Amino acid sequence: MSRVRLVETTVLVLAGLLLATATVDDVVRQTHINQRLIADLRTWRARTGHDYHNLWIDQIVLGEGTEREVVCGNTSPGAPKAKIQLCLAVWGPVRDGRRVVHGGWYLPPGVEDARKDRYGCFGDVPRGICPSSASTAPGTGRGAAPTGSGSGLESRRGGHG
Amino acid sequence: MDGAVGASAPAPTRGRRASLRPDAALGRWAPALALLCGLVVVAATVEIVLDGALDHSPVIPKSPQIAGWLTSLGGEQLSQRVFVIAILSFSAAYAGLLALARIRARAPVGDRTISDRPSDRPSDRPADRPADRKSARWAIGLVALLHLIVFVGPVLISTDVFSYIAYARMGVVHGINPYLHGPAAIAGDPVYRYVGKDWLKVATAYGPLYTLLSYPLAPLGVVGALWGMKVYALLASFVTLLLTWLLARRRGLDPVFALLAVGANPLYVIYGFGGAHNDLIMLALMMGAVALTLSDRDVAAGAVVVAGALVKATVGVLLPFMILSRRRVAPLLGALGALALGALAGYAAFGSHGIDVVSALNRDAAFVSTDSFPNELAHLAGKPGVFPVDHDLLKGALVLIVLHLLWRTWRGYDWVAASGWALLAIAVTSTWLLAWYILWPLPLAVVSRDRRLLAATLFVQGLFVVHQTPPIFAPVR
Repeated sequence: MSRVRLVETTVLVLAGLLLATATVDDVVRQTHINQRLIADLRTWRARTGHDYHNLWIDQIVLGEGTEREVVCGNTSPGAPKAKIQLCLAVWGPVRDGRRVVHGGWYLPPGVEDARKDRYGCFGDVPRGICPSSASTAPGTGRGAAPTGSGSGLESRRGGHG
Repeated sequence: MDGAVGASAPAPTRGRRASLRPDAALGRWAPALALLCGLVVVAATVEIVLDGALDHSPVIPKSPQIAGWLTSLGGEQLSQRVFVIAILSFSAAYAGLLALARIRARAPVGDRTISDRPSDRPSDRPADRPADRKSARWAIGLVALLHLIVFVGPVLISTDVFSYIAYARMGVVHGINPYLHGPAAIAGDPVYRYVGKDWLKVATAYGPLYTLLSYPLAPLGVVGALWGMKVYALLASFVTLLLTWLLARRRGLDPVFALLAVGANPLYVIYGFGGAHNDLIMLALMMGAVALTLSDRDVAAGAVVVAGALVKATVGVLLPFMILSRRRVAPLLGALGALALGALAGYAAFGSHGIDVVSALNRDAAFVSTDSFPNELAHLAGKPGVFPVDHDLLKGALVLIVLHLLWRTWRGYDWVAASGWALLAIAVTSTWLLAWYILWPLPLAVVSRDRRLLAATLFVQGLFVVHQTPPIFAPVR
């Protein structure tokens, strides 16, 4: 084996070890995040009293990397985002498989979670999350008797290339 | 190995026979084990396709119902957990198939040993023996079956194919330049609802040749165009695999191993072909350029590399290695000719934006995906993600790697391997890594003279698969 080839192989092995370490570390990290998200979903279901599956979680609205999440779901049975949606802001440590709800808001049917669409804000929602005139919920009650079915957490996978 | 190694070896001595005994014992079981691995690979593919045909799977993009008839065959909604288990099973069986193919290639036949190492002697080429013809038929059948299963199924994993269709419909149906506007410009078009939401306002980053190739499909409607894209992917895959087989034979490598390594690769079958990605067209042109170079048709080879780059710019990285290796200006002349033609056609069809691939590459280079290795390394270092300075460091590292490979090629290193290393380095240093990007070096790796490249490519692919496993440990639902 030539000297160059030996050096190349050594560098390759070291790079491979580094990538493998980073990958395993990231799998462990993502698994912990998933466990937190599972707690978030349990929290939404416990709070509303309904075993919905068409829920979606946003990890960015309350600050990426802050471990503060927003969990949204329909307030009555239907396709994803087809009904009035209730969003709960949850953060804090996981206790008994759940986290603390600090506040939330409602969304009209068929919209993404944009600030202008939020209404009926309640609880300790950070300033700026809700529009200033959105303190009351027009015609909807909090936790309005949702019952229904769904098929799973919305995915944000996939890509373009 | 830097150069060709003779395949012919003397008849094994007694000591040599003793050392081969485990392989020989395994060889007796090889057909049964290969059948088992093949069944697992097919079963995993069927599972993904059948379950994916049902609506509302988190790993299947929103799509027109093109595989509805499959729902009558049963299945359950494809969860992320089941998908990852299927991919892991597929990957394990694929590894088994490759191991068995290597054992088969090394097995003593009569008074000689067939090696999977390169040989220029036609009589020593694997797959020229009757037993190998049977293996070859089996491997071809397996790869064809995998392609058939995925072809009739839904679009898997990615929404990209709908972006391709949207760009085509923008140009043909709506008269909008896809190099200036994103699909948001055709919000009323039926394809709009299927385009990934991150890409609605993004103009196409693909080369003008690909965009022009996609134009004939635009008038077929969304479903017709989708099938057209699937046919393009099928044809491109066929060409890629055929050339991989022929080039492996030509370089004295085992074509059965080469075919299985590419055509039964889980990322190639499920992510690449399953998503009907245009990377397959790029790979077909890339392998065409390699085949032309090895046939001493340098002008055409240079032109075909540029044609590939006019589909997806990445493959242009082959050109300097090809030119350095050949030490002739012919590939450069072919490349310049093709570039002039392509630029002319691109300018005529799309204006100056149609030939500005650099800005599109710069734009995409700034994206960050969760599966990229720089992102994983940033997390390992305790950072939340990749910062702008990291992009500059990664570009610097990539330049150093390419310069080293160019120097090695100048000193006689296999240019096919050097090109493969460069493509692998691009994928690994990219902050925007998707499964089909780590397919780029694979066909080159299986026909290269440096086996480290194949090992490194499969290792990186393995890490990608491992990175998909969190839903197994903590399924979010």
